[in-house]
Amino acid sequence: MQRRDFFKTLGTAAVVGATLPVMGMAAEEKKKGPNEFSYNQAVSAITGGKTAEKSDKVHLKVPEIAENGAVVPVTVEVDSPMTAHDYVEEIHILDTKNSNSRCVDAFFTPANGKAFLSTRIKLGGTQDVVALVKLNNGTYLIATQNVKVTIGGCG
Amino acid sequence: MEISRRDFMHIAAIFGLGMATTSVAASKAINKISLKDIYKFKAKGNVTLLHMCDLHAHIKPLYWREPSTLISAPNLVGTPGFLCGDSFAKHYGLEPSSLDAYFDTCIDFEALAKKFGKMGGIAHMKTYINQVKKERGNENVLFLDSGDTWQGTGVALKTTGEAIVKAQNYLGVDVMVGHWEFTYGKERVKELIGMLNAKFVSQNIVGDDSFADDYEELIFKPYTIEERGGAKIGIIGQSFPFTSTANPKEFTKGWSFGLRLDTLQKYVDELRNEKKVDCVVLLSHDGFSVDQEVARQVKGIDFILSGHTHDPSPKPITINNTVIVIAGSHGKYIGRLDIDVKNGKVKNYEYKLVPMASNMIPADPEGEKLVAELYAPFDAEFNEVLGKTKNMLYKRDTFFSTFDQLINDAIIDEMKCDISFTPGYRWGTTVLAGEDILMDNVYEMCGITYPNVYTFELQGQNIANLLEDIADNVFNANPLYQQGGDMSRLGGVTYDIAVANKTGKRISNLKVGGKPLDVNKTYIVSSWGGNLQSAGTNLQTAKIRPVYDVVRDYIKKKKVVDVSNKGNVTLLDYDCGCPKKGKRGC
Repeated sequence: MQRRDFFKTLGTAAVVGATLPVMGMAAEEKKKGPNEFSYNQAVSAITGGKTAEKSDKVHLKVPEIAENGAVVPVTVEVDSPMTAHDYVEEIHILDTKNSNSRCVDAFFTPANGKAFLSTRIKLGGTQDVVALVKLNNGTYLIATQNVKVTIGGCG
Repeated sequence: MEISRRDFMHIAAIFGLGMATTSVAASKAINKISLKDIYKFKAKGNVTLLHMCDLHAHIKPLYWREPSTLISAPNLVGTPGFLCGDSFAKHYGLEPSSLDAYFDTCIDFEALAKKFGKMGGIAHMKTYINQVKKERGNENVLFLDSGDTWQGTGVALKTTGEAIVKAQNYLGVDVMVGHWEFTYGKERVKELIGMLNAKFVSQNIVGDDSFADDYEELIFKPYTIEERGGAKIGIIGQSFPFTSTANPKEFTKGWSFGLRLDTLQKYVDELRNEKKVDCVVLLSHDGFSVDQEVARQVKGIDFILSGHTHDPSPKPITINNTVIVIAGSHGKYIGRLDIDVKNGKVKNYEYKLVPMASNMIPADPEGEKLVAELYAPFDAEFNEVLGKTKNMLYKRDTFFSTFDQLINDAIIDEMKCDISFTPGYRWGTTVLAGEDILMDNVYEMCGITYPNVYTFELQGQNIANLLEDIADNVFNANPLYQQGGDMSRLGGVTYDIAVANKTGKRISNLKVGGKPLDVNKTYIVSSWGGNLQSAGTNLQTAKIRPVYDVVRDYIKKKKVVDVSNKGNVTLLDYDCGCPKKGKRGC
């Protein structure tokens, strides 16, 4: 099966690594209600208050101007050897202004081969999209990009 | 290094050399300007690229006044792409009242229009192209078109682009990209490409319908390699990245656009390393300021031939060894770029933005015949005199223009709305004071494939938010977040704007019909050429009508239109419309 055909069978909500990572929503935040994770709450729930370091090892690919806010394609790839001693454990995709800031949590093992995640998220308006990455040594890396959701019409 | 006339004037300006001397020199130059001066060029190297952008279907000569207001975020003020009027003239060292000043700026436009006449027209462009081909040899010349070619006049609209494809074939366009082309719809675009002798290339249009065969596939060839003057020239296409946001999505359903700088870098590398081209050209419809960002982020492009923002740029700009040019709009110019390229290296180049002065460059009879044939079926409709205008009707400016005000007046008169929105496109026309307004002029201003004026209800708060959203598309400090248009024109509304303020905080003192906007009140809004109706409620379907019909009927009713040049927007953080670099004033 070609990689492309594989995407096709998955349809619009493709989430792909070399093998599928385990997906899950943040169970520890459930008590606050399903739509009430602010950005800061979501980040501290993930990192436990640790600081995340800006890193150009995290390649966040997302359009500057969304063609359609309802399905914004996001791809995150992290430079990592993905060996037993040095690998990416988690990739989280967050946004800063949706009522629920925590969009995707993906968990990886060295068996994934590649720290790669591709999906589509819904954005209620112009805001930052954030990729938050946990390495197996416990450090957190972060990359951010602003995405404009506009009614358009110039030009 | 030889000092050209323009350079000399620039140096003279820097050293504050006597104005009396320069103005004498200038008046001498005007009287003496001849066809020879227009053709004059220090030929270089083995290849010539001819470049045209944003013709907007103007196959006949026209008047086109450049903006008298071109405002941007403070970091971009006075940089190429945000220069106009006096700051443009100073930056490029233009002589007052010269042919260049007439073509490139709005200064003394009406007086100079009478002196120098109309601009562009394919019959005149062809004469110039033939001249260059004769000088350089046919086999050494490549003609590249940055798009926005098929749309913008009545003849384009009525033939759904076909008349303009015939014009391109006549001109001998070799490669093109697109933007407004797509507003004829995907299927028609493919049909027209079938009739076109040029190649249509785009690396940034990809299928995004996961059930279609072209999912994640390129819709067009990303690049083409053309041999000229013994060199292999790789030309990568970049169509307008925000087509699906700026224009209705249904025209390009299943296609995804975007800047796609990662794949652009991949194709640059592929052309250099695998295809072993001698020179990499990006044929682009990104816009002038966006392409300056592209040059900062993508390595290995020799030349960017830009388009979309309609800037005339008499001098190329160089960023990270990438040379960027852009050739105005409406057929006013052809850019001539001579390149000395051998063994995978560009050694030297020479550029000139050549004004297509239709009174000086003779028309090619074959072109005149073609234009007459293409217009013949529509002459009766297009040549109808609708009325006269007391003052000049023009299109360009950041916030306001007289022709757009006329359109808003017509809409408010017919639709009985509180507020009218007219889009801030950068294409259109200019009608001189005292002249007749023809139906053709109305199509030149609003000949689009989605012309309906929609009348609906919007809450005050939504109107304020929408205006901020539109302002951010125009004034964002990061060019990558701009869409390259001017601000939407509002009828029935006045407001103040502080461009340098943060997103969402620029607009204040918003008044509707002279009264402060009530955020809780529901207003009747009419709009066309955009997507505002999707944000409104209670759409009045019985009133829906094409904007060009609304404007035609209004001018006919009025007989003489008298639109004042006094705008409806107060600019708070700049003292004039054409500020200079690092300044808030002039």
